[in-house]
Amino acid sequence: MSSIQRKIWTLAAVVLFIMVAIWTTLTYYNQKTQTQYNDILQRYLRMNEVTNASQQTITALNNYLQSPSQANLDLLDRSKQQIRKARVEVLVLRNSDNDFALTNYMNLIDSLVETTDRSLMFQSEKETEDSAKAFSEATRISKYISDMTLTLLDTELKTYDRFYRGIIEQSSELNKLGVWMLLLITLLLLLFTYWFSLSITRPVLKLTQAAKELSRGRFDLQIEVASNDEISFLAKMFDRMRININNLISEIQQKAQLENELQQNKLLLQESQLRSLQSQINPHFLFNTLDTLSKKAYLEGSEETSDLLASVAGLLRYSLKRLDRSVTLYDEVKVLKQYMEIQKARFTDRLEFHANIDETCLYVQIPGLTLQPIVENAVIHAVEPEEDGGAIWFSIRDGDDRVTIEIEDDGPGMTELKIKQILEEHVVETEGHSTGIGFSNVVRRLRLFYGREDVIEIESGSGRGTKVILKIPKTRGNEKYDKAPDRG
Amino acid sequence: MRKTVILLLGFLCAVLFYFTFASADKVFRSDWEIPRTSTQAQAKQYRLVLITQELETPFWNKVGSGARGQAEKDGASLEVWGSYDKNQEDFLKKIEIAIDSKVDGIIVQGLDTEEFKSLTKIKAAFYGIPIITVANDVPMADSLRRTYVGSDQFLAGRMIANQLLTDMGREGTVILLADSRREYYQQQRLNGIQDVLKNYPNVRTEYSETPDTREDVVATTQNLMNRMPDVDAFIAVNANNAEAMIQEIGRRSRVEPYDIYSFDDSHETLELLKQGKLDGMIEQSPETMGRISVSLMIEWLSGKTVPLDTEGYLTDIRMLKATDAT
Repeated sequence: MSSIQRKIWTLAAVVLFIMVAIWTTLTYYNQKTQTQYNDILQRYLRMNEVTNASQQTITALNNYLQSPSQANLDLLDRSKQQIRKARVEVLVLRNSDNDFALTNYMNLIDSLVETTDRSLMFQSEKETEDSAKAFSEATRISKYISDMTLTLLDTELKTYDRFYRGIIEQSSELNKLGVWMLLLITLLLLLFTYWFSLSITRPVLKLTQAAKELSRGRFDLQIEVASNDEISFLAKMFDRMRININNLISEIQQKAQLENELQQNKLLLQESQLRSLQSQINPHFLFNTLDTLSKKAYLEGSEETSDLLASVAGLLRYSLKRLDRSVTLYDEVKVLKQYMEIQKARFTDRLEFHANIDETCLYVQIPGLTLQPIVENAVIHAVEPEEDGGAIWFSIRDGDDRVTIEIEDDGPGMTELKIKQILEEHVVETEGHSTGIGFSNVVRRLRLFYGREDVIEIESGSGRGTKVILKIPKTRGNEKYDKAPDRG
Repeated sequence: MRKTVILLLGFLCAVLFYFTFASADKVFRSDWEIPRTSTQAQAKQYRLVLITQELETPFWNKVGSGARGQAEKDGASLEVWGSYDKNQEDFLKKIEIAIDSKVDGIIVQGLDTEEFKSLTKIKAAFYGIPIITVANDVPMADSLRRTYVGSDQFLAGRMIANQLLTDMGREGTVILLADSRREYYQQQRLNGIQDVLKNYPNVRTEYSETPDTREDVVATTQNLMNRMPDVDAFIAVNANNAEAMIQEIGRRSRVEPYDIYSFDDSHETLELLKQGKLDGMIEQSPETMGRISVSLMIEWLSGKTVPLDTEGYLTDIRMLKATDAT
């Protein structure tokens, strides 16, 4: 049997028990009272019966003396029998108060019967006078019996006075008891029902509140219901459900994050591929043309132009194929040098380039085309707008587990806002002209490549130049980047 | 807050419980049983009846209490029946009821009338119920009584007469007022008085009878005093007449000069004696009478003393004078 049902049954049983108990008690009490009342009435009726019987006897005797017929004699006998019966019944009424009177009473009845018999005897012996005398005596005795009945009734009333008053008091007390009992039972039932209903509704209420919290999206509150019925079971199940949902949600969140990253990676890739495609318009034709131009310049004795053209061709080739795969730092530095040669040819004395390279750490893996856009950025912002030109310092230093690459210029510097924008990978409106790959693209790729955020720092202030510091881990944290297909 | 509510409810519960159970206790635990006694034990006792004509007088109350005391001691049940103010009809009816009720013994104040005698002599004898007269006797020949318990009325008469002689001297006129029913005990008293006074020829006695209603007593007294203005002393042989007689004397002159005597078996006489209106009174021993009568009845019933002394068992009497009483 389930628990709530059992509770309801318990309540019903308690109510039923109380009702049965009261009913039984009252019935028993009522029975007792009835018996008592019957006894009392019986006493009075019996005494009255004697008086009636004695008077009947006298009447019957009188009738018989007047007209001595068999019918009248039968009647007389019957009434005599009746009075004897009444006498026996009176016997049980004896108590200590009426003992004497009752004995007299019974003897009076005997005397009446005897006198009646005597009268009959005289009658049968035709001694009319004696018979009449006996009859008058019987009449007197009958009168005495009536008197004695009254006396006995009087005694009865006196004897049982206290008793009768007790009965009256008791019945009024019974009324009071009824009122008290009603109050008590009402109170008890109210309390019991309150407690009982609370034991059902409180868990339900808790459960409701828990459900409300869940529906608002709070999955971290534990659901606790202290009861021993189905509600508690329900609550337990509910709690388990909450925990499951909680787990599922966090899983989904993780997945969504991953997917997001993947998506961004893809976007970046597509962007760079698009750009590379744009600039791939018949690159071989361009390379060959540049090579031809370089050779032609060499043949015409213009060696400098020839070298410059060769650098441009190398840089172009590199930039077309190295965008989506890792290269060594060595390759990057080489490309950077070619780029600087080209820029040197362009700016001549206005551009000073100082390189300080620790050759031992050039094996480090790095995404392709990361240094060149930064240096290009420095050239564009620090050298190009200045009439006197500017200087760029480039250094690679070895650390414990990282290689530090610093690119510093003495240009006008960047605002805090701009630095923030760059580090937060917002697409920055590029000023002037660049080879196409933005600073923020570099930051993004670096972070994705190494799987950490702290690979790049920018120190700058207006008027005191810009210093970009790359801290390249010697071992990579994120290998995924490599798996992208080679589009070279 | 919650604690207060719980405490309050608990208290309320306790109070209701208390009142409910107190009430239930009262309802269910009262002495419901009708008192009953075993019929056997009671039935064996002798049932005696003391019947008097003068219920609720000091004299008969004493007789009754003496009789009751003795009955209780001997384990007999006794009831005092009777009539008030010498209602003879009621008195005789009570005797008849007693006989018809077949009591074991009747102790009765003697009444010297034909009806009484016929009841005791014929009816009681017919049922075999013993009768003892108490205080007032009726001769055995007339009543078939077993015995008499009470004062020697003859002696009482003599004592009064002697007292009279002492107080009045050996000369004078004495009025003897008796009632017209001529009851035996009054005759005895008169005999006693006459027995003494006959030796003193100078003491003139005037015997007069009167019916015992108040008016008759007053009329008779008036009449006597008219006839004999030189009267010296009165003796009310029936104590019940003393009060009316003295009142009548008092209306005519002062009461004190007269020597007035009576007996104690009336509720007024003791009061009169205390007031000094009565000069002397014979005091009997009512309690002893009650006691002895019951004891004798039981002795006769149980066969210890058979037959009883038919002459009677006499109890003490003594002269009570006005000077002693005050």
